[in-house]
Amino acid sequence: MALLVLRFGPSSGRSSRRPPGPAIPDTNVKVHTTVGPVTTEGRGTDAVAPDGEMALTGLRILDFTRLGFGAQATLICGCLGAEVIRVESTRHPDAIRVMPPFVPEPGERGEGFGAATLANATGATSANRGGIFYKYNTGGKKSITVDARHPKGLALLKDLVSVSDVVTESFAAGTFERWGLGYGVLRERKPEIIYVSMCGFGHSGPDLSHVTMGPTAQALTGLTFMVGLPDRPPAGWSFSYLDHVGGYLGAVAILAGLLHRRRTGRGQHLDVSQLEPATALSGALLLDALVNGRPSRRPGFPTGNRRLHPPTAPGGAYRAAGTDQWVVISCRTEAHWGALLTAIGRPSWTADPRFATLAGRVDHADELDTLLETWTSQRDRYEVMDRLQAAGVPAGVVQDAADRLERDPQLAARGHFTALSNAEVGPLPLEGVPFRMSATSPRTGGFLDRGPPCLGEDTDAVLEDLLAMTPDDVGRLREEGVLS
Amino acid sequence: MTTDATVTAPLDGVRVLELTDESADYCGRLLAGLGADVVKAEPPEGSPARTVGPFLDDRPGDDGDRSLAFWADNVGKRSIVVHDDTEIGDLAAAADVLVHTLRPAESVRRGLSFDALSARSPGLIVCAVTPFGQTGPWADYLADDLVLMALGGSMAACGYGPTPDGTYDTPPLAAQGDQAWRTASTYAAIAVLAALAWRGEPDRRAPAHAPTPQRGQFIDVSVHECSASMTEWHLMTYLCSGTPYHRGPHPTLTAADGRQVAALTPDFLGPHVFTRMLEMLEAEGVAGALSDPAFADPGHRARHYGEVWRALKRLAAKHDAETLYRLGQGAGLPWGVIRSPEEVLDDRHLAARGHFVDVGHPDLDRTVTYPGAPFVAHGFPWVMHRPPPRVGEHTAEVRSQWTLPR
Repeated sequence: MALLVLRFGPSSGRSSRRPPGPAIPDTNVKVHTTVGPVTTEGRGTDAVAPDGEMALTGLRILDFTRLGFGAQATLICGCLGAEVIRVESTRHPDAIRVMPPFVPEPGERGEGFGAATLANATGATSANRGGIFYKYNTGGKKSITVDARHPKGLALLKDLVSVSDVVTESFAAGTFERWGLGYGVLRERKPEIIYVSMCGFGHSGPDLSHVTMGPTAQALTGLTFMVGLPDRPPAGWSFSYLDHVGGYLGAVAILAGLLHRRRTGRGQHLDVSQLEPATALSGALLLDALVNGRPSRRPGFPTGNRRLHPPTAPGGAYRAAGTDQWVVISCRTEAHWGALLTAIGRPSWTADPRFATLAGRVDHADELDTLLETWTSQRDRYEVMDRLQAAGVPAGVVQDAADRLERDPQLAARGHFTALSNAEVGPLPLEGVPFRMSATSPRTGGFLDRGPPCLGEDTDAVLEDLLAMTPDDVGRLREEGVLS
Repeated sequence: MTTDATVTAPLDGVRVLELTDESADYCGRLLAGLGADVVKAEPPEGSPARTVGPFLDDRPGDDGDRSLAFWADNVGKRSIVVHDDTEIGDLAAAADVLVHTLRPAESVRRGLSFDALSARSPGLIVCAVTPFGQTGPWADYLADDLVLMALGGSMAACGYGPTPDGTYDTPPLAAQGDQAWRTASTYAAIAVLAALAWRGEPDRRAPAHAPTPQRGQFIDVSVHECSASMTEWHLMTYLCSGTPYHRGPHPTLTAADGRQVAALTPDFLGPHVFTRMLEMLEAEGVAGALSDPAFADPGHRARHYGEVWRALKRLAAKHDAETLYRLGQGAGLPWGVIRSPEEVLDDRHLAARGHFVDVGHPDLDRTVTYPGAPFVAHGFPWVMHRPPPRVGEHTAEVRSQWTLPR
């Protein structure tokens, strides 16, 4: 990433927050938290008193994860109150810091994210505008830059291990060990350390060297196969579902390691791959093949949006008024069907005896779908949803990202998005963990209530606070290139 | 910190009472794997989840034991039959955690609200998994997994691409397998673990009536919000560009045997990605125009991406899918052959990691293979030795072991 020019360095510009970018759409985001003190003069971020204890308050995670899979796990812990310290590099920044889509400059419109831009992720002028970074690095994560290949950098990282509870990383198997930070070394520094590696194929097995991204793991574990219309190639997912699921299980691993340590006093290595978290996601499909001998790879399967179990008809996505607008309707019971008839005013086709029973509706689902669509396609998708729901029919709009931000009253009422900014970007409506806890409420901005960190913005504060260094000590290390 | 060599799993001794339908059974499966004593409270006729197919030998039977959907999410649990809500309240008072799928009004009406339960047992953690959460204008709306995949946004992002005129002749698609429910169930498990970590541990070996730590709380999981959180780059792309993503095909190669391989070429990870891919394509004799040094420039590649893709298609035409997958991986590319769920069982790597577990079903005189630990923990075992319970199979033993208070 030779073209990278850092706009925001640890030694300058800390208070130069830009005005919010006008390219951010006018959303119904409920701003329910103030933006954290990332622009406070000096380094006193820790001086802000948290306004309530959180579930993981006091837990410190030294976090070497990159991209989505690993970062999702530490995001969750950060939202639950853990102090997450991202260890980064200015020379090899996390790819999602420097790849499209970019958070636009004020007055600009950013670039989207597609095949062409994927192939051409150059031209980044800042390590703080990569859009996807903002998806995976809420939770109040801090960022420090340390060169692990510099002997003094390595020593410094080991010192940080000594004052941490958990170490997370998502490099290829063996990389961390080659740096001199394998589990044996970590354990030497802190016997009860919880070490969670998050690597595509894990840290053991014959295909250890294989690399994954979400779509790779989705293909290998059956998830890609599970999205498609009958007798066509799989359509798959257009996003890395397994970056999320793998990350959730990474968080489970961290928490399980923590609870285990509470009881035994022992740390351990938890080896999270991107494959094992996925195998149970096929549920009964796998058992149907194993126990009944009915493979999923068979004519007519997968069944698109139809669900075979329980039998559901009408069930699927139906066109609504407008271009490529859809609404899902799902009738599993006679009560749902009766409610649907009431809601749509019993047009004559609904009296067809073929549709009198659920079994009949399942057998004639194609005809039923066509007829029902004559009703839905005349109407606005939200109107269809609300009218059917009012009558007692499970129904929902096929919402895209714009709909979730701008039209979904439920997400707005729940405070799903939290406006957070940092010294260079924002405020953006960002996501944290999607659940609420009555006593230890999670916070999208973590315990400091702040946005995703600019690269290296916490280096000085972390070294001074945790390793008792003076500003002069830190300055010398920076001059020697240790903090790059 | 206690040191106890008999404690092996992280949730050993933690009692989880489960009052869930099929939307959240997966939460308890995860907690059971971590060693919790997960007890499913069922009416005498059994949980409604037992009526969901497919069924063993395609025969539903009348004892509720043949639902494979139930098996998949309830392996490792025990079952107790309850006849009324008082019994459920008693069980909850003896538990550390209650996971349920009751709507707010229903939990109040049945005397199972958090306030009521907590007054009796201040240490109790209650986790409610509902389609839209406890509050908001849609709180009473009805939804199954399909509806929640639609509203959450993953469905809009998945499906086949448009026809050449730019219109879509196929709908957006939701994955099979109840993915919104599974995501929410996983978040529910995370929330329960966090609540347990904050609350402190039960101590069952203490003298009688030793108080449970008094720091229970209520967890409100909205499946809709969980589903809305899982679309990776889609939200940020909209925020950055002002244009939501329109569904389309993902990069897939069709191999000589007709099977597909997911074939990403992530240039954004650095110049080595293309260099190594080119070496492989040249060794295979299919590099064609890519050997032109101009292609070393990522900008040039982006402008002529068709050439890259044509070379990959030439490669795919030469090999079966399994070989193609391994050729790509050999060149450092994150390629993966697209397998059906049952084909995953043959994966040598997962086998070597001991992932799949045979669980005895003594009633059927057979063993059944289940996906096992979702990660390899070197410090504790994944607990999965019990088959899915029959209705009320453990009623007597749970009553005696949980010593219901009175």
